Amino acid sequence: MPDTLDPHVRFGSNSGQPVTRRDGLAKVTGTATFAADNTPDNMLYAVFVPAAIARGRVTGLDTEAAAAHPGVTHVLTPQNRPPLQGDPSDKPTMFSFRFEALQDDSVRYAGQPIALVVAETLEAANEGARLLNPKYERLTPRTDIDDAEPYAFEAAGFGLPANTVHGNPEAGHASAAQAIDVTYETAPQYHNAMETHAVVAKWEGDHLTLDMPSQAISMSCAGFAYYFGIPAENVTVRSPYLGGGFGSKAIPTGPYVLAILAARMTGRPVKMMLTRQQMFGPVGHRGQTRQRLRLGADDTGRLTVIDHEGIAATSTFDDFVEPAANASQGIYAAGALRSTHRAVKLDIGTPGPMRAPGEASGSAVLECALDELAEKLGLDPLELRLKNYAETEPGTGKPYSSKALRECYAQGAERFGWNSRPRAPGQMRDEDGLLVGWGMGTAFFPCPMFMAEANATLRADSTAVVETSAVDMGQGAWTALAQIAADSLGLPLDKVDFQAGRSGLPDGGVAGGSGHTATAGGALHAAGGDVIRQLGEIAAADPDSPLYGAGNAGFVARDGRLYVAGDESRSEAYTDILARSGGAEIAGNGSASRAPETAEQHAMNAHGAVFAEVKIDPDLCQMRVTRLVGAFAAGRIINPRLAESQLFGGMIWGISFALHEEARHDHKRGHIVNADLAGYHVPVNADVSGLDVITVHEEDPYVNALGIKGVGEIGITGTVGAIGNAIWHATGKRVRRFPIRIEDLLTS
Amino acid sequence: MDIDFLLNGESVTLRGVEPTRTLLDWLREERGLRGTKEGCNEGDCGACTVMVTDDRGARALNACILFMPQLQGKAVRTVEGIAGPKGELHPVQQAMIDHHGSQCGFCTPGFVVSMAVAHLNGDTGHDDALAGNLCRCTGYAPIVRAAEAAADQPVPDWMRELPEGLIADPQHAPESADALAELYEARPEATLVAGATDVGLWVTKLMKELPDLIFLNRCKDLQEIEETALGLRIGAGVTMDRVMEAVKTRFPSYAGMIRRYGSAQVRNAATIGGNIANGSPIGDNPPALIALDATLHLRKGDARREMPIGEFFIDYGKQDRQPGEFVEAVTIPAQADRLKVYKLSKRFDQDISAVCGAFRIRVEEGRVSEARIAFGGMAAVPKRATAVERAITGKPWTDETVMGAWDAWEKDFAPLSDMRASAEYRLDAARNMLSRYLLEDLGAPSNVLEVMP
Ligand SMILES: Cc1cc2nc3c(=O)[nH]c(=O)nc-3n(C[C@H](O)[C@H](O)[C@H](O)COP(=O)(O)OP(=O)(O)OC[C@H]3O[C@@H](n4cnc5c(N)ncnc54)[C@H](O)[C@@H]3O)c2cc1C
Ligand code: FES
Ligand code: FES
Repeated sequence: MPDTLDPHVRFGSNSGQPVTRRDGLAKVTGTATFAADNTPDNMLYAVFVPAAIARGRVTGLDTEAAAAHPGVTHVLTPQNRPPLQGDPSDKPTMFSFRFEALQDDSVRYAGQPIALVVAETLEAANEGARLLNPKYERLTPRTDIDDAEPYAFEAAGFGLPANTVHGNPEAGHASAAQAIDVTYETAPQYHNAMETHAVVAKWEGDHLTLDMPSQAISMSCAGFAYYFGIPAENVTVRSPYLGGGFGSKAIPTGPYVLAILAARMTGRPVKMMLTRQQMFGPVGHRGQTRQRLRLGADDTGRLTVIDHEGIAATSTFDDFVEPAANASQGIYAAGALRSTHRAVKLDIGTPGPMRAPGEASGSAVLECALDELAEKLGLDPLELRLKNYAETEPGTGKPYSSKALRECYAQGAERFGWNSRPRAPGQMRDEDGLLVGWGMGTAFFPCPMFMAEANATLRADSTAVVETSAVDMGQGAWTALAQIAADSLGLPLDKVDFQAGRSGLPDGGVAGGSGHTATAGGALHAAGGDVIRQLGEIAAADPDSPLYGAGNAGFVARDGRLYVAGDESRSEAYTDILARSGGAEIAGNGSASRAPETAEQHAMNAHGAVFAEVKIDPDLCQMRVTRLVGAFAAGRIINPRLAESQLFGGMIWGISFALHEEARHDHKRGHIVNADLAGYHVPVNADVSGLDVITVHEEDPYVNALGIKGVGEIGITGTVGAIGNAIWHATGKRVRRFPIRIEDLLTS
Repeated sequence: MDIDFLLNGESVTLRGVEPTRTLLDWLREERGLRGTKEGCNEGDCGACTVMVTDDRGARALNACILFMPQLQGKAVRTVEGIAGPKGELHPVQQAMIDHHGSQCGFCTPGFVVSMAVAHLNGDTGHDDALAGNLCRCTGYAPIVRAAEAAADQPVPDWMRELPEGLIADPQHAPESADALAELYEARPEATLVAGATDVGLWVTKLMKELPDLIFLNRCKDLQEIEETALGLRIGAGVTMDRVMEAVKTRFPSYAGMIRRYGSAQVRNAATIGGNIANGSPIGDNPPALIALDATLHLRKGDARREMPIGEFFIDYGKQDRQPGEFVEAVTIPAQADRLKVYKLSKRFDQDISAVCGAFRIRVEEGRVSEARIAFGGMAAVPKRATAVERAITGKPWTDETVMGAWDAWEKDFAPLSDMRASAEYRLDAARNMLSRYLLEDLGAPSNVLEVMP
């Protein structure tokens, strides 16, 4: 066993158990407090007015009418908006975007805030907003991906290379016996967590308290502190529960800044809650892409090249670009790999990270293109993937820290019954005459780690308090991280008081990139280890302890007792050790991040295989995903119940990506025509049936101290392609855009 | 307006309430009950689901598009009242914890209430009961499992309650159709509010001012379903959940379509009268009612008139309804069931139709003796396909006849392309619906190539 796994950790006593959520009771009784549920005394309501045009200028606002409405206290426009101390165009933290906070009268996308109304009641604020009745000077909006010229740039996503080449792609194309060259499109998507963005902002002197959902608490503090010219310690963010995040709640946005400004200006607490419609604009989305994939293979089906070009839409004033083409790096053992990106600047809100940014859109297309190649080669799609199985990371040749993808393929295929799949499309019908199709895709997701810190304090009565500003956006941090902390301290879960979800605690890092459990968990694990180490030192040095002198052998911590490693007849309860040492508490701390050397030595990914069945009405072409089997290898699973939920959730997002989600612009006027949950579809219960998740056993000694790879995002990857491929298999129609619409199948 | 109702078992008396105040806003902003969540404020997500009980029983409704006056004399239970008075968990709450029914938990209060209502009513059609609750995290399976697990547990006593039938504000909430007729004739500019599933959105989404409202929900006599000499008479105030029950055995295909109309919460609120009166080109009832040759009953003051329902829809936004006149009922003539309704929408549930087609085709001795075909989503109004009807009537009921009507479709309809579907798709889908009717009618197996391995 590598030395990164501390011997005192007994996984299985807490971690690894399907513990139910510790926050379950609060959630089912409605007592869990989400941001907008906070209503301090003397509070005002703020509502922003979204631009109705996508490009141009605001030429008139009837501020008098709005201000005269009973209950309205302030109307903010670019003319009278008090100054900010930090420029909204600056990027003070890694998760910063340029935003609009009434700097000027220009309109850069539909939905942009163009004024703010503050009032005693929400109704008055809404009415004031309506009375502003904006007038515009309109310019022709550019909202279609063809409305602007693609340009090259340096970094995709958050600082990922825009262009990566391994081997010789031209030679790969030249030597291919079979080739395909296909272009796919993916739609703009909006996170639409069920909780919209909301904040209650309150100033006390130059201290700011924010009740708001945040996926990145300490970075949010730093960001807001910058814009308001105060030290980061003066900002308190309280985010005990997020009603979903999916990437959109990691970033300070314009509406938040305006609400905070209103609170400072009025000297009263201010609440702002975005409407569902307002979620389509200033708070990020997954950018639209057009991706060209050229694959070459030799006669036996070995890939000679994967050549992936992505064009992605971004805003005119910022530069986040969906790193879709990077999804082709690192999965299949092709002779050559090339990923390139270009962007087009459109009159839209800036896209941002949305669950599996890049991987989702990129793998959707990669997995469909591979299916097209399999068809051409006359190979079973799974066979093609196995022929190109990468034993080491393609391109770099690095070994994987662990990779149980082969087992995922095998277990998923077995559970699904993949072997009996006829190769040709359009061969299967069910008893009701519906067309049936089967498709598959490979899932993968990298295993990033951020930086986190934690404290742990063991008390004389053998209870402990552990602290880190980790956040639970639904993934189950309140439970899984507490399980890790309890294990690191060798205590039962109910003896550990886990503090998280607010600032003022050690930095818990970012709930994103599927790396939160590994990172914050790693810090908690280290903090608990630090406590146990100190406790062991005290015991080993205490002649009255049965553990006296056993320091060199090391200790095992379990259930509130220390045992001598290798000789469990010698043990002592924490309470006894502490009582003799004067009853003092023991405080420890720890941190986690990935050492650059470790990152150099291994390629680290979670993997999976997804198999989909669709049924399609032959006349009306209504489609349903009737079965979805996903087998995932993601290192150590801290809580199987939580992990399964995350994987289910990811797979639903895959269904949603493949068949539903799409923001449709009116390209003439530039606004989104379906900016609500009636028109912007996310799956309902009836769209989801027969979901099956297998977690494949995987031990990873390198990825991090706990061997965790993360399960939050991988479920989308693979699923989208599997569904697209199943639709082809049912109908023989290859639809090269997502979401697939019924009319794509009906009209020839 | 003055409103009296029960809230989580306690009586609430309100005076001078703004009639367009929604229950959701009132609960959260005024009453301080913030367990009920807002996810959309327009009836699409179910995060705001509450239980409302009246003498017809308990139903789940969306609080975000429920105006306070609609609660008059009823009992409301929010998530805070689903657990017992001493904090005892309701069986569905315990099951949601045990089965991991919540992740982020924002949707959970809404689900818990929907589940508790279904549990109370002994409704084990969990998929239908939960179709109106969106969850972005879980993928639903754990929630459905929780609903199944709780199904056998007894209903806690506190869930059973009977509100007293208090008298409402007679100027804005008449107690009978007669009173309504008088009020509306005198105030023809007033906006009638039935289920408010349309009107609610005018307020919450379009921010419309509605100076004068007349609520229909107290008119018991508009909520009756009767078997008359002319057929099945459904009062304008009958909600869609009850319409679904009423047509279940008579016209199962119609009921099947209603099952996909909105969600349980929307069906529990929306009335058939509102769905007809709003004149929407994509309303789901009119095509079926036209195909069934239903009669619409209108009333103004004491004057009543009736017409074949198809004639009510004159043009986009224009119906044959006088100021002060309202829809009183609709009658479906007794007939042998030959109706098939196809609602085409992309998402399976909770989706407005791209095309909704209703077909009633009688066949005698192998020939089409009568065809009534009507569509929503194909024109500015719900409209009959008269050219297609003519093209097939008198012809043998065969594939050739159906194909022979190909061009007639374009005479009947020149649909638009919009967000929901393209024009071509709409036409093709309409044609295919007729083929589908034929296939289903003749019981031909749909061209089975190979049965599933
Ligand atoms: C989430 C959601 C999903 C929906 N899904 C569907 C769907 O799948 N299919 C579908 O067809 N519709 C759907 N709708 C639309 C809506 O449910 C219907 O239009 C509904 O039937 C309207 O009835 P109501 O009782 O709520 O009417 P209201 O909103 O109360 O009134 C609608 C209009 O009719 C008038 N009116 C009401 N009653 C009368 C009367 N007796 N006489 C004269 N005028 C009257 C009102 O003044 C108003 O103009 C949906 C709505 C929502 C919010
Ligand atoms: S808030 Fe979404 S249905 Fe009411
Ligand atoms: S648990 Fe997050 S929306 Fe349902």
